[in-house]
Amino acid sequence: MADLGAPPGPTDPLLEIYLERRPNLVRFFAARCGSLTLAEDLAQELYVKLATRDPAVTAENPVALIYRVATNVMLDRARGEARAGARDAAWRRTAHASVGEEDVAEEAPADEAVSSRQRLRQLVEAAADLPPQMQRAFRLHKLEGRSHAETAQVMGISVKSVEKHISAALKTLTARLGR
Amino acid sequence: MNSIWRFGDDARREDAAAWVVRLEAGSLGETEAVAFDAWLSAAPDNANAFDAALAVSHIYAAAGDAVTKALSERRAAPAPVGRRAFLAVGAMAAAAAVAVVVAPDLVSAPKATTYVTAKGERRTVRLADGSTLDLNAGTRLSVTLAHDARRVTLDQGQAVFDVAHDQRRPFLIAAGDRTIRVVGTQFDVRRRAGKLSVTVARGAVEVRPSEGATGQAYRLHPGQRLDHIEGAALTQVVATRAEEVLGWRSGRLVYREQPLGDVVADLNQQFSLPIRIDDPTLAATPISGVLMVDNQDAVIRRLALLVPISTVRSDAGVVLRRAVASGR
Repeated sequence: MADLGAPPGPTDPLLEIYLERRPNLVRFFAARCGSLTLAEDLAQELYVKLATRDPAVTAENPVALIYRVATNVMLDRARGEARAGARDAAWRRTAHASVGEEDVAEEAPADEAVSSRQRLRQLVEAAADLPPQMQRAFRLHKLEGRSHAETAQVMGISVKSVEKHISAALKTLTARLGR
Repeated sequence: MNSIWRFGDDARREDAAAWVVRLEAGSLGETEAVAFDAWLSAAPDNANAFDAALAVSHIYAAAGDAVTKALSERRAAPAPVGRRAFLAVGAMAAAAAVAVVVAPDLVSAPKATTYVTAKGERRTVRLADGSTLDLNAGTRLSVTLAHDARRVTLDQGQAVFDVAHDQRRPFLIAAGDRTIRVVGTQFDVRRRAGKLSVTVARGAVEVRPSEGATGQAYRLHPGQRLDHIEGAALTQVVATRAEEVLGWRSGRLVYREQPLGDVVADLNQQFSLPIRIDDPTLAATPISGVLMVDNQDAVIRRLALLVPISTVRSDAGVVLRRAVASGR
Protein backbone atom coordinates (compact mmCIF):
# COMPACT_ATOMS: atom_id res chain seq x y z
CA MET A 1 0.00 0.00 0.00
CA ALA A 2 2.87 2.30 0.79
CA ASP A 3 3.90 2.49 -2.85
CA LEU A 4 0.68 4.32 -3.65
CA GLY A 5 1.95 7.54 -2.22
CA ALA A 6 5.62 7.07 -3.03
CA PRO A 7 7.06 9.98 -5.02
CA PRO A 8 8.96 9.16 -8.22
CA GLY A 9 12.62 8.50 -7.54
CA PRO A 10 15.34 10.99 -8.40
CA THR A 11 16.21 9.03 -11.54
CA ASP A 12 12.73 8.79 -12.93
CA PRO A 13 13.18 7.42 -16.48
CA LEU A 14 10.09 9.28 -17.63
CA LEU A 15 11.60 12.61 -16.59
CA GLU A 16 14.80 11.75 -18.40
CA ILE A 17 12.84 11.05 -21.56
CA TYR A 18 11.03 14.33 -21.03
CA LEU A 19 14.31 16.25 -20.78
CA GLU A 20 15.58 14.63 -23.97
CA ARG A 21 12.39 15.63 -25.79
CA ARG A 22 11.89 19.03 -24.26
CA PRO A 23 12.71 20.99 -27.44
CA ASN A 24 10.27 18.81 -29.39
CA LEU A 25 7.59 19.36 -26.77
CA VAL A 26 8.08 23.12 -26.89
CA ARG A 27 7.58 22.92 -30.66
CA PHE A 28 4.47 20.83 -30.13
CA PHE A 29 3.04 23.40 -27.71
CA ALA A 30 4.10 26.35 -29.86
CA ALA A 31 2.23 24.99 -32.86
CA ARG A 32 -0.82 24.07 -30.82
CA CYS A 33 -1.16 27.34 -28.93
CA GLY A 34 0.41 29.82 -31.32
CA SER A 35 2.86 31.38 -28.88
CA LEU A 36 6.45 30.53 -27.98
CA THR A 37 6.29 32.07 -24.52
CA LEU A 38 3.17 30.17 -23.66
CA ALA A 39 4.80 27.03 -25.07
CA GLU A 40 7.76 27.33 -22.68
CA ASP A 41 5.33 27.86 -19.87
CA LEU A 42 3.33 24.78 -20.78
CA ALA A 43 6.50 22.69 -21.11
CA GLN A 44 7.40 23.65 -17.55
CA GLU A 45 3.92 22.80 -16.33
CA LEU A 46 4.20 19.46 -18.09
CA TYR A 47 7.40 18.73 -16.21
CA VAL A 48 5.71 19.38 -12.88
CA LYS A 49 2.76 17.21 -13.90
CA LEU A 50 5.05 14.35 -14.86
CA ALA A 51 7.17 14.66 -11.74
CA THR A 52 4.12 14.55 -9.48
CA ARG A 53 2.07 12.11 -11.50
CA ASP A 54 -0.04 9.38 -10.01
CA PRO A 55 2.19 6.30 -9.80
CA ALA A 56 -0.76 4.16 -10.87
CA VAL A 57 -0.34 5.72 -14.30
CA THR A 58 2.08 3.33 -15.90
CA ALA A 59 3.55 3.75 -19.33
CA GLU A 60 3.98 1.10 -21.93
CA ASN A 61 5.06 3.80 -24.33
CA PRO A 62 6.60 6.66 -22.34
CA VAL A 63 6.72 9.07 -25.28
CA ALA A 64 3.01 8.54 -25.92
CA LEU A 65 2.32 9.10 -22.24
CA ILE A 66 4.26 12.36 -22.25
CA TYR A 67 2.33 13.69 -25.24
CA ARG A 68 -0.92 12.56 -23.68
CA VAL A 69 -0.13 14.49 -20.50
CA ALA A 70 1.01 17.41 -22.67
CA THR A 71 -2.42 17.50 -24.29
CA ASN A 72 -4.06 17.41 -20.86
CA VAL A 73 -1.89 20.28 -19.69
CA MET A 74 -3.19 22.33 -22.61
CA LEU A 75 -6.79 21.39 -21.80
CA ASP A 76 -6.19 22.45 -18.19
CA ARG A 77 -4.80 25.75 -19.32
CA ALA A 78 -7.68 26.36 -21.67
CA ARG A 79 -10.15 25.62 -18.93
CA GLY A 80 -8.36 27.91 -16.52
CA GLU A 81 -8.51 30.70 -19.05
CA ALA A 82 -12.18 30.14 -19.70
CA ARG A 83 -12.81 30.30 -15.99
CA ALA A 84 -10.67 33.40 -15.61
CA GLY A 85 -13.11 35.18 -17.84
CA ALA A 86 -11.56 34.67 -21.21
CA ARG A 87 -15.24 34.15 -22.09
CA ASP A 88 -16.48 31.16 -23.93
CA ALA A 89 -14.06 31.91 -26.72
CA ALA A 90 -13.69 28.31 -27.78
CA TRP A 91 -10.41 26.60 -27.05
CA ARG A 92 -9.80 26.27 -30.71
CA ARG A 93 -9.88 30.02 -31.01
CA THR A 94 -7.82 30.61 -27.90
CA ALA A 95 -5.37 28.01 -29.05
CA HIS A 96 -5.26 29.32 -32.50
CA ALA A 97 -5.52 33.03 -32.63
CA SER A 98 -3.92 33.97 -29.36
CA VAL A 99 -1.08 35.63 -31.21
CA GLY A 100 -3.50 38.12 -32.65
CA GLU A 101 -5.24 38.77 -29.34
CA GLU A 102 -4.23 41.67 -27.22
CA ASP A 103 -3.52 39.77 -24.02
CA VAL A 104 -0.55 37.95 -25.50
CA ALA A 105 0.31 40.32 -28.31
CA GLU A 106 3.07 42.01 -26.36
CA GLU A 107 5.11 38.86 -26.36
CA ALA A 108 4.67 37.93 -30.00
CA PRO A 109 7.97 38.45 -31.76
CA ALA A 110 6.04 38.07 -35.00
CA ASP A 111 4.52 41.48 -34.41
CA GLU A 112 7.90 43.11 -34.31
CA ALA A 113 8.91 41.36 -37.47
CA VAL A 114 5.97 42.74 -39.40
CA SER A 115 6.21 46.17 -37.88
CA SER A 116 8.48 47.12 -40.70
CA ARG A 117 6.52 48.01 -43.80
CA GLN A 118 8.99 46.22 -45.95
CA ARG A 119 8.42 42.94 -44.17
CA LEU A 120 4.69 43.34 -44.55
CA ARG A 121 5.11 43.95 -48.24
CA GLN A 122 7.12 40.75 -48.55
CA LEU A 123 4.39 38.83 -46.77
CA VAL A 124 1.69 40.27 -48.98
CA GLU A 125 3.62 39.67 -52.17
CA ALA A 126 4.43 36.09 -51.25
CA ALA A 127 0.77 35.43 -50.42
CA ALA A 128 -0.46 37.19 -53.56
CA ASP A 129 1.72 34.95 -55.74
CA LEU A 130 0.12 31.75 -54.44
CA PRO A 131 -2.16 29.93 -56.90
CA PRO A 132 -5.76 31.17 -56.47
CA GLN A 133 -7.31 28.18 -54.62
CA MET A 134 -4.30 27.84 -52.36
CA GLN A 135 -4.35 31.55 -51.63
CA ARG A 136 -8.05 31.53 -50.85
CA ALA A 137 -7.77 28.60 -48.43
CA PHE A 138 -4.76 30.18 -46.76
CA ARG A 139 -6.49 33.49 -46.46
CA LEU A 140 -9.76 32.16 -45.08
CA HIS A 141 -8.00 29.97 -42.54
CA LYS A 142 -4.73 31.58 -41.54
CA LEU A 143 -5.49 35.25 -42.10
CA GLU A 144 -9.20 35.40 -41.30
CA GLY A 145 -9.17 32.71 -38.65
CA ARG A 146 -11.72 30.24 -39.96
CA SER A 147 -11.40 26.59 -39.00
CA HIS A 148 -10.57 23.98 -41.65
CA ALA A 149 -14.19 22.86 -41.66
CA GLU A 150 -15.50 26.39 -42.10
CA THR A 151 -13.00 27.08 -44.85
CA ALA A 152 -14.06 23.87 -46.58
CA GLN A 153 -17.67 24.95 -46.44
CA VAL A 154 -17.02 28.44 -47.76
CA MET A 155 -14.95 27.05 -50.62
CA GLY A 156 -17.24 24.12 -51.30
CA ILE A 157 -14.39 21.60 -51.10
CA SER A 158 -13.47 18.85 -48.66
CA VAL A 159 -11.63 19.44 -45.39
CA LYS A 160 -8.85 17.22 -46.74
CA SER A 161 -8.41 19.50 -49.76
CA VAL A 162 -8.36 22.53 -47.48
CA GLU A 163 -5.59 20.94 -45.43
CA LYS A 164 -3.66 20.18 -48.60
CA HIS A 165 -4.00 23.74 -49.87
CA ILE A 166 -2.96 25.31 -46.58
CA SER A 167 -0.07 22.92 -46.19
CA ALA A 168 1.15 23.60 -49.73
CA ALA A 169 0.74 27.34 -49.19
CA LEU A 170 2.77 27.25 -46.00
CA LYS A 171 5.48 25.23 -47.70
CA THR A 172 5.71 27.69 -50.60
CA LEU A 173 5.71 30.72 -48.29
CA THR A 174 8.36 29.22 -46.04
CA ALA A 175 10.60 28.43 -49.01
CA ARG A 176 10.23 32.00 -50.21
CA LEU A 177 10.42 33.93 -46.94
CA GLY A 178 12.62 31.57 -45.00
CA ARG A 179 15.86 32.45 -46.67
CA MET B 1 23.73 15.12 -56.85
CA ASN B 2 22.67 18.68 -56.58
CA SER B 3 19.14 17.84 -57.65
CA ILE B 4 18.88 14.96 -55.17
CA TRP B 5 19.86 17.29 -52.38
CA ARG B 6 17.27 19.82 -53.45
CA PHE B 7 14.64 17.18 -53.60
CA GLY B 8 15.43 16.16 -50.03
CA ASP B 9 15.17 19.74 -48.91
CA ASP B 10 11.86 20.19 -50.68
CA ALA B 11 10.39 17.03 -49.17
CA ARG B 12 11.52 18.15 -45.74
CA ARG B 13 9.80 21.50 -46.21
CA GLU B 14 6.66 19.72 -47.30
CA ASP B 15 6.69 17.48 -44.23
CA ALA B 16 7.36 20.43 -41.96
CA ALA B 17 4.43 22.42 -43.37
CA ALA B 18 2.15 19.41 -43.10
CA TRP B 19 3.06 18.90 -39.44
CA VAL B 20 2.50 22.56 -38.60
CA VAL B 21 -0.92 22.50 -40.25
CA ARG B 22 -1.91 19.26 -38.53
CA LEU B 23 -0.77 20.48 -35.11
CA GLU B 24 -2.49 23.81 -35.49
CA ALA B 25 -5.73 22.08 -36.40
CA GLY B 26 -5.47 20.48 -32.97
CA SER B 27 -6.66 17.08 -34.10
CA LEU B 28 -3.47 15.21 -33.38
CA GLY B 29 -3.97 11.83 -31.74
CA GLU B 30 -1.47 10.14 -29.51
CA THR B 31 -0.04 7.97 -32.26
CA GLU B 32 0.41 10.99 -34.49
CA ALA B 33 2.06 12.92 -31.68
CA VAL B 34 4.57 10.11 -31.29
CA ALA B 35 5.15 10.07 -35.05
CA PHE B 36 5.67 13.84 -34.95
CA ASP B 37 8.24 13.46 -32.18
CA ALA B 38 10.04 10.74 -34.12
CA TRP B 39 10.12 12.87 -37.27
CA LEU B 40 11.57 15.83 -35.37
CA SER B 41 14.22 13.68 -33.76
CA ALA B 42 15.15 11.90 -36.99
CA ALA B 43 17.36 14.77 -38.24
CA PRO B 44 18.32 18.22 -36.99
CA ASP B 45 17.29 19.58 -40.39
CA ASN B 46 13.75 18.37 -39.77
CA ALA B 47 13.54 20.42 -36.60
CA ASN B 48 14.96 23.44 -38.43
CA ALA B 49 12.47 23.07 -41.27
CA PHE B 50 9.66 22.83 -38.72
CA ASP B 51 10.83 25.96 -36.91
CA ALA B 52 10.94 27.86 -40.20
CA ALA B 53 7.43 26.80 -41.21
CA LEU B 54 6.05 27.52 -37.74
CA ALA B 55 7.63 30.97 -37.71
CA VAL B 56 6.05 31.79 -41.08
CA SER B 57 2.70 30.51 -39.86
CA HIS B 58 2.92 32.65 -36.72
CA ILE B 59 3.95 35.73 -38.66
CA TYR B 60 0.96 35.42 -40.97
CA ALA B 61 -1.41 34.74 -38.08
CA ALA B 62 -0.13 37.84 -36.27
CA ALA B 63 -0.32 39.97 -39.38
CA GLY B 64 -3.57 38.46 -40.61
CA ASP B 65 -5.59 41.66 -40.70
CA ALA B 66 -2.86 43.74 -42.31
CA VAL B 67 -2.12 41.12 -44.98
CA THR B 68 -5.81 40.58 -45.73
CA LYS B 69 -6.33 44.29 -46.15
CA ALA B 70 -3.29 44.66 -48.38
CA LEU B 71 -4.38 41.70 -50.51
CA SER B 72 -7.81 43.26 -51.00
CA GLU B 73 -6.25 46.59 -51.90
CA ARG B 74 -3.91 44.92 -54.33
CA ARG B 75 -6.78 43.35 -56.14
CA ALA B 76 -8.37 46.78 -56.37
CA ALA B 77 -5.05 48.40 -57.23
CA PRO B 78 -6.02 50.60 -60.22
CA ALA B 79 -8.53 52.52 -58.12
CA PRO B 80 -7.71 55.98 -56.80
CA VAL B 81 -6.62 56.15 -53.18
CA GLY B 82 -9.79 57.83 -51.96
CA ARG B 83 -11.97 54.87 -52.85
CA ARG B 84 -9.96 52.28 -51.05
CA ALA B 85 -12.20 51.79 -48.08
CA PHE B 86 -15.23 51.45 -50.28
CA LEU B 87 -13.50 48.91 -52.51
CA ALA B 88 -12.32 46.86 -49.59
CA VAL B 89 -15.90 46.54 -48.46
CA GLY B 90 -16.95 45.75 -52.00
CA ALA B 91 -14.41 42.99 -52.24
CA MET B 92 -15.69 41.46 -49.04
CA ALA B 93 -19.26 41.66 -50.22
CA ALA B 94 -18.24 39.95 -53.45
CA ALA B 95 -16.52 37.21 -51.52
CA ALA B 96 -19.64 36.71 -49.44
CA ALA B 97 -21.77 36.54 -52.57
CA VAL B 98 -19.46 33.90 -54.03
CA ALA B 99 -19.66 31.94 -50.81
CA VAL B 100 -23.43 31.82 -51.10
CA VAL B 101 -23.27 30.58 -54.66
CA VAL B 102 -20.55 28.08 -54.00
CA ALA B 103 -22.34 26.37 -51.11
CA PRO B 104 -25.27 24.68 -52.81
CA ASP B 105 -27.83 22.73 -50.89
CA LEU B 106 -26.89 19.14 -51.34
CA VAL B 107 -30.26 17.52 -51.41
CA SER B 108 -28.95 13.96 -51.45
CA ALA B 109 -30.86 12.08 -48.77
CA PRO B 110 -28.68 11.82 -45.67
CA LYS B 111 -28.07 8.29 -44.46
CA ALA B 112 -27.67 7.16 -40.89
CA THR B 113 -24.54 5.19 -40.08
CA THR B 114 -24.46 3.05 -36.96
CA TYR B 115 -21.29 2.44 -34.98
CA VAL B 116 -21.05 -0.28 -32.34
CA THR B 117 -18.22 -1.24 -30.00
CA ALA B 118 -18.00 -4.57 -28.21
CA LYS B 119 -16.85 -5.20 -24.67
CA GLY B 120 -13.28 -4.01 -24.17
CA GLU B 121 -13.25 -2.35 -27.59
CA ARG B 122 -12.56 1.33 -28.14
CA ARG B 123 -12.91 2.99 -31.47
CA THR B 124 -12.28 6.35 -33.07
CA VAL B 125 -14.66 7.48 -35.80
CA ARG B 126 -13.87 10.43 -38.03
CA LEU B 127 -16.92 12.00 -39.60
CA ALA B 128 -16.97 13.69 -42.98
CA ASP B 129 -17.53 17.12 -41.36
CA GLY B 130 -14.21 16.88 -39.53
CA SER B 131 -15.67 15.88 -36.17
CA THR B 132 -14.17 12.98 -34.24
CA LEU B 133 -16.01 10.54 -32.01
CA ASP B 134 -14.13 8.32 -29.56
CA LEU B 135 -16.36 5.43 -28.59
CA ASN B 136 -15.81 3.65 -25.32
CA ALA B 137 -16.54 -0.06 -24.92
CA GLY B 138 -20.14 -1.27 -25.09
CA THR B 139 -21.39 1.70 -27.06
CA ARG B 140 -23.93 1.98 -29.82
CA LEU B 141 -24.71 5.19 -31.66
CA SER B 142 -25.83 6.31 -35.10
CA VAL B 143 -24.86 9.38 -37.08
CA THR B 144 -26.74 11.32 -39.75
CA LEU B 145 -25.01 14.23 -41.47
CA ALA B 146 -27.80 16.25 -43.03
CA HIS B 147 -27.39 19.64 -44.67
CA ASP B 148 -29.30 21.43 -41.91
CA ALA B 149 -27.93 19.55 -38.90
CA ARG B 150 -25.59 16.82 -37.77
CA ARG B 151 -27.50 14.30 -35.69
CA VAL B 152 -26.28 11.56 -33.40
CA THR B 153 -28.45 9.14 -31.46
CA LEU B 154 -26.70 7.60 -28.50
CA ASP B 155 -28.50 4.34 -27.77
CA GLN B 156 -26.14 3.39 -24.98
CA GLY B 157 -22.57 3.73 -23.85
CA GLN B 158 -20.06 6.55 -23.72
CA ALA B 159 -18.27 8.71 -26.26
CA VAL B 160 -16.13 11.81 -26.46
CA PHE B 161 -17.25 14.20 -29.17
CA ASP B 162 -14.75 16.56 -30.72
CA VAL B 163 -17.06 18.58 -32.89
CA ALA B 164 -15.85 20.57 -35.88
CA HIS B 165 -17.11 24.11 -35.78
CA ASP B 166 -19.95 24.68 -38.22
CA GLN B 167 -22.31 27.50 -37.42
CA ARG B 168 -24.85 26.46 -40.01
CA ARG B 169 -25.16 22.85 -39.05
CA PRO B 170 -25.72 22.36 -35.33
CA PHE B 171 -24.53 19.10 -33.85
CA LEU B 172 -27.39 17.41 -32.02
CA ILE B 173 -27.07 14.35 -29.82
CA ALA B 174 -30.22 12.58 -28.73
CA ALA B 175 -29.63 10.59 -25.54
CA GLY B 176 -32.89 9.24 -24.19
CA ASP B 177 -35.09 12.06 -22.97
CA ARG B 178 -32.39 14.70 -23.32
CA THR B 179 -30.93 16.36 -26.39
CA ILE B 180 -27.48 17.92 -26.43
CA ARG B 181 -26.82 20.77 -28.79
CA VAL B 182 -23.34 21.80 -29.84
CA VAL B 183 -21.70 24.37 -32.03
CA GLY B 184 -18.03 23.38 -31.85
CA THR B 185 -16.44 21.82 -28.82
CA GLN B 186 -15.15 18.72 -27.10
CA PHE B 187 -17.14 16.83 -24.52
CA ASP B 188 -18.02 13.41 -23.16
CA VAL B 189 -21.48 11.86 -23.16
CA ARG B 190 -22.22 8.75 -21.16
CA ARG B 191 -25.52 6.93 -21.11
CA ARG B 192 -25.64 3.73 -19.14
CA ALA B 193 -28.39 2.07 -17.15
CA GLY B 194 -30.75 5.04 -17.37
CA LYS B 195 -28.15 7.51 -16.17
CA LEU B 196 -26.88 10.28 -18.42
CA SER B 197 -23.72 12.32 -17.84
CA VAL B 198 -22.40 15.09 -20.06
CA THR B 199 -18.94 16.55 -19.41
CA VAL B 200 -17.55 19.50 -21.34
CA ALA B 201 -13.82 19.87 -22.02
CA ARG B 202 -13.90 22.83 -24.42
CA GLY B 203 -16.48 25.22 -25.77
CA ALA B 204 -20.07 25.00 -24.62
CA VAL B 205 -23.01 22.67 -25.07
CA GLU B 206 -26.71 22.87 -24.31
CA VAL B 207 -28.62 20.01 -22.75
CA ARG B 208 -32.38 20.25 -22.98
CA PRO B 209 -35.32 17.91 -22.65
CA SER B 210 -36.01 16.02 -25.86
CA GLU B 211 -39.39 16.53 -27.47
CA GLY B 212 -42.12 15.34 -25.14
CA ALA B 213 -39.89 15.30 -22.06
CA THR B 214 -40.01 17.86 -19.29
CA GLY B 215 -37.33 19.65 -17.34
CA GLN B 216 -35.02 22.59 -17.53
CA ALA B 217 -32.42 23.33 -20.21
CA TYR B 218 -28.81 23.87 -19.22
CA ARG B 219 -25.85 25.46 -20.87
CA LEU B 220 -22.62 23.73 -19.85
CA HIS B 221 -19.16 25.25 -19.87
CA PRO B 222 -15.72 23.65 -19.68
CA GLY B 223 -15.17 21.78 -16.45
CA GLN B 224 -18.88 21.18 -15.84
CA ARG B 225 -20.69 17.88 -15.73
CA LEU B 226 -24.41 17.38 -15.97
CA ASP B 227 -25.97 14.31 -14.36
CA HIS B 228 -29.48 13.22 -15.16
CA ILE B 229 -31.57 10.17 -14.42
CA GLU B 230 -33.78 9.33 -17.35
CA GLY B 231 -37.46 9.91 -16.76
CA ALA B 232 -36.80 12.24 -13.85
CA ALA B 233 -37.21 16.00 -14.18
CA LEU B 234 -34.23 16.56 -11.93
CA THR B 235 -30.86 17.41 -13.38
CA GLN B 236 -27.71 18.31 -11.52
CA VAL B 237 -24.70 20.30 -12.69
CA VAL B 238 -21.41 19.89 -10.84
CA ALA B 239 -17.82 21.00 -11.34
CA THR B 240 -15.54 18.28 -12.61
CA ARG B 241 -12.14 17.71 -14.15
CA ALA B 242 -12.95 17.12 -17.77
CA GLU B 243 -9.58 15.65 -18.68
CA GLU B 244 -10.16 12.98 -16.06
CA VAL B 245 -13.57 12.08 -17.41
CA LEU B 246 -12.06 11.87 -20.88
CA GLY B 247 -9.21 9.72 -19.60
CA TRP B 248 -10.85 6.46 -20.66
CA ARG B 249 -9.71 7.15 -24.19
CA SER B 250 -6.17 6.42 -23.12
CA GLY B 251 -7.19 3.48 -20.97
CA ARG B 252 -7.33 5.47 -17.77
CA LEU B 253 -10.37 5.62 -15.52
CA VAL B 254 -10.29 8.45 -13.00
CA TYR B 255 -12.68 8.52 -10.07
CA ARG B 256 -13.36 11.04 -7.37
CA GLU B 257 -15.70 9.93 -4.65
CA GLN B 258 -17.68 7.63 -6.90
CA PRO B 259 -19.58 4.60 -5.65
CA LEU B 260 -17.68 1.36 -6.14
CA GLY B 261 -20.77 0.03 -7.90
CA ASP B 262 -20.37 2.60 -10.68
CA VAL B 263 -16.69 1.78 -11.03
CA VAL B 264 -17.50 -1.90 -11.36
CA ALA B 265 -20.16 -1.09 -13.97
CA ASP B 266 -17.47 0.70 -15.97
CA LEU B 267 -15.05 -2.18 -15.64
CA ASN B 268 -17.72 -4.62 -16.75
CA GLN B 269 -17.79 -2.82 -20.09
CA GLN B 270 -14.11 -3.62 -20.51
CA PHE B 271 -13.81 -7.30 -19.59
CA SER B 272 -15.88 -10.30 -20.52
CA LEU B 273 -15.71 -11.91 -17.06
CA PRO B 274 -18.28 -9.95 -15.01
CA ILE B 275 -17.48 -8.44 -11.62
CA ARG B 276 -20.31 -8.48 -9.08
CA ILE B 277 -20.98 -6.84 -5.74
CA ASP B 278 -23.76 -8.36 -3.68
CA ASP B 279 -23.21 -6.18 -0.65
CA PRO B 280 -25.09 -2.87 -1.14
CA THR B 281 -23.01 -1.07 1.49
CA LEU B 282 -19.85 -2.01 -0.35
CA ALA B 283 -21.37 -0.99 -3.69
CA ALA B 284 -22.13 2.44 -2.24
CA THR B 285 -18.62 2.95 -0.84
CA PRO B 286 -17.13 6.02 -2.51
CA ILE B 287 -13.69 5.59 -4.02
CA SER B 288 -11.13 7.96 -5.54
CA GLY B 289 -8.20 7.06 -7.72
CA VAL B 290 -6.83 6.27 -11.13
CA LEU B 291 -7.22 2.86 -12.72
CA MET B 292 -5.26 1.82 -15.77
CA VAL B 293 -7.39 -0.56 -17.77
CA ASP B 294 -5.05 -3.26 -19.04
CA ASN B 295 -5.94 -6.72 -17.75
CA GLN B 296 -8.67 -7.61 -15.35
CA ASP B 297 -6.55 -9.20 -12.63
CA ALA B 298 -4.22 -6.23 -12.49
CA VAL B 299 -7.14 -3.82 -12.39
CA ILE B 300 -8.79 -5.68 -9.51
CA ARG B 301 -5.46 -5.72 -7.64
CA ARG B 302 -5.22 -1.94 -8.06
CA LEU B 303 -8.83 -1.53 -7.03
CA ALA B 304 -7.98 -3.39 -3.81
CA LEU B 305 -5.44 -0.66 -3.07
CA LEU B 306 -8.18 1.95 -3.21
CA VAL B 307 -10.80 0.14 -1.17
CA PRO B 308 -10.37 -2.84 1.17
CA ILE B 309 -11.89 -5.73 -0.75
CA SER B 310 -11.34 -9.42 -1.16
CA THR B 311 -12.28 -11.36 -4.25
CA VAL B 312 -13.97 -14.66 -4.83
CA ARG B 313 -13.57 -16.11 -8.30
CA SER B 314 -15.66 -18.59 -10.20
CA ASP B 315 -16.36 -19.34 -13.83
CA ALA B 316 -19.39 -17.09 -13.57
CA GLY B 317 -17.32 -14.09 -12.59
CA VAL B 318 -15.60 -12.31 -9.76
CA VAL B 319 -17.44 -11.33 -6.59
CA LEU B 320 -16.11 -8.45 -4.54
CA ARG B 321 -16.50 -8.57 -0.78
CA ARG B 322 -15.53 -6.34 2.07
CA ALA B 323 -12.12 -7.34 3.33
CA VAL B 324 -12.04 -8.40 6.94
CA ALA B 325 -10.87 -5.34 8.80
CA SER B 326 -7.34 -5.95 9.95
CA GLY B 327 -5.70 -4.47 13.02
CA ARG B 328 -8.98 -3.74 14.77
